[in-house]
Amino acid sequence: MREVFFMIFSVFTVLAALGVVVSRHAIFSAFSLVLSFFGLAVLYLLWGSSFVAMLQILIYTGAIVVLFVFVVMLLDLKKEETLDSAKTGPLVLAGVSVWLFSLLVLRALNRATFFKSTNIEAASDMKSISTLLFSKYLWGFEILSVFLLALIVSACVLARAEHMERKADQ
Amino acid sequence: MEAFLPIGILFLFAVAVCVGIYVLTNLLGPRIFQKNKLSTYECGVQNPLFETNARLPFKFRFYLIAVIFLLFDVEGAFFLPWALVYRESLQVNANLLVAMLVFSLFIILGLIYVFQNNYLNVD
Amino acid sequence: MDLTELSIVSIKTLLIYVAFIHVVPVMIWVERKGAALIQDRPGPNRVGPFGLFQPIADAVKFLFKEDPVPKEVNRLLYNLGPFLILLPSSLIIAAIPVGDRVEIFGRDVLLQVADIDVALLFFLSISSLGVYGILFGGWASNNKYSLLGAMRSSSQVISYEIPIALAAANAVMFYGTFSLRQMVLQQEGVILGFLPNWGIWFQPIGFLVLFVALFAETNRLPFDLPESEAELVGGYHTEYGSMKFATFFMAEYINLATASALLVTLFFGGWHVPWLSDSWLLLKLGSQNLVALVQVSMFVAKVSVLLCIFVWVRWTVPRFRFDQLMHLAWGNLIPLGLANIIITAILLYFFEGR
Repeated sequence: MREVFFMIFSVFTVLAALGVVVSRHAIFSAFSLVLSFFGLAVLYLLWGSSFVAMLQILIYTGAIVVLFVFVVMLLDLKKEETLDSAKTGPLVLAGVSVWLFSLLVLRALNRATFFKSTNIEAASDMKSISTLLFSKYLWGFEILSVFLLALIVSACVLARAEHMERKADQ
Repeated sequence: MEAFLPIGILFLFAVAVCVGIYVLTNLLGPRIFQKNKLSTYECGVQNPLFETNARLPFKFRFYLIAVIFLLFDVEGAFFLPWALVYRESLQVNANLLVAMLVFSLFIILGLIYVFQNNYLNVD
Repeated sequence: MDLTELSIVSIKTLLIYVAFIHVVPVMIWVERKGAALIQDRPGPNRVGPFGLFQPIADAVKFLFKEDPVPKEVNRLLYNLGPFLILLPSSLIIAAIPVGDRVEIFGRDVLLQVADIDVALLFFLSISSLGVYGILFGGWASNNKYSLLGAMRSSSQVISYEIPIALAAANAVMFYGTFSLRQMVLQQEGVILGFLPNWGIWFQPIGFLVLFVALFAETNRLPFDLPESEAELVGGYHTEYGSMKFATFFMAEYINLATASALLVTLFFGGWHVPWLSDSWLLLKLGSQNLVALVQVSMFVAKVSVLLCIFVWVRWTVPRFRFDQLMHLAWGNLIPLGLANIIITAILLYFFEGR
């Protein structure tokens, strides 16, 4: 039963991700991104991490894609032009070469030893994740708050720079 | 994970209701063609061209609100696992209290910065 | 999961979903009669006794109206807009515990669509998806008023999500779990001899922050600037007619019902009868099913009181301006929520720490 759901939602997520790339209008891309994040959250659920799934929806779908959509709406992006049929040959070639390259990379990764992690944390439910976050990774947590502060300041400074530039233009 | 299955069933019911509403409107509503109905609402001004590709000029304030919301949402999402284990951890030591005080100190600094420089006033 | 269990779960889901959908016609009547009461006029009194069939008349009217679609809209997103709001509103219902157990065919069935252990987080995440219906609906209408209304409404909704997350973190800190059913189970009985063991005595400021923020999340007055008629015509739903327009309002009322249900669950004891404990009730009434009936009616009564308060506030208080609204969220509610968490943390340390 779980395998059936996994297959359905994997296909759904990959199709939605394809939709992000293939859509001609940026806002359809954003919508497909929402769908692919949603599919990803369901996949996390199927793997047993309900906490991560909920956080995925809360942060990614609920905040990051909202930011994307705001930008698309404010910038008034137009529909992009269609692909010339004269260009499809090189495109297919590019696709095939990317596929071959990824096969090579996967084979190399399988053989490499320094990528095999022996230090996997055995924490999948919420309380263990939380306790780990505050015991072993406490420094990371605190540095993250400083990082967020830096992001807030940088976003505001960029906004001011943009605003000054617009005022100078007028 | 099995506990989430009813949510899938609820989702299917909700989709059925939405589709049902859509089908009902299409079946039951009349369709009378009138040229004026095709144009969007323009506050009483008769626009001879139907092509009102009216979009907003770029308002930076909305973008800034979205960015600052994102950062504070991430911060709020960090409060949630903290809150989950806080009360239990008090039986052991006060580490989590100090950790959260430091975390919220930086967040409050960010909030103060945004307010001092008045970045969030929407005009 | 075998077939009987699956069918029990489906029927329970359907019943709870239908119950929440029926809040919509009831709220339409309560809102209009309540408005009439506050404004000293009769209100709807033609359709049926006391105007009780008014919502049915409204629904029939909406169904039979024409659905005018302007020419230059973005077809897919225009049609999808109202349903993008309705879907999250419907999904949130899954997390709310309506009662305790019921015994059917020898099985214990929980009166909750899904007893997940991340219920509060589920509520927060799915309610943050509600902003997409507003954004896509407003944008797809190809109308600058709709777009402006959509931007302002979505800014309002996202700004008030953070106080909700902070108030939720406060509640989680107190109860030690994300599961709403566990939170309700911890609110049983009496404290100090005479007060029912409700959450609100322990977290009054959390309740205040959540209450105000939920007003703004559900776009209710005094926060309904984006839908106000005088300002932006209709805001993001200007270009929608008949049932799609009604869908926006259905979603708003269902959101209101789930918001009240969340407040009741976190702060007012959920489905517990105020001074009585569940075991006492089981002793007196004998059957678990009767106890469940009493609990469900208690829950419905509490949610109704909160809904009446929402209606009361709507027709009493004037509307906020947009910058006042934003200042309330960022300048008042978020600092208050943060201070609340810090002070509660320090108090908990002094009372329970080593």
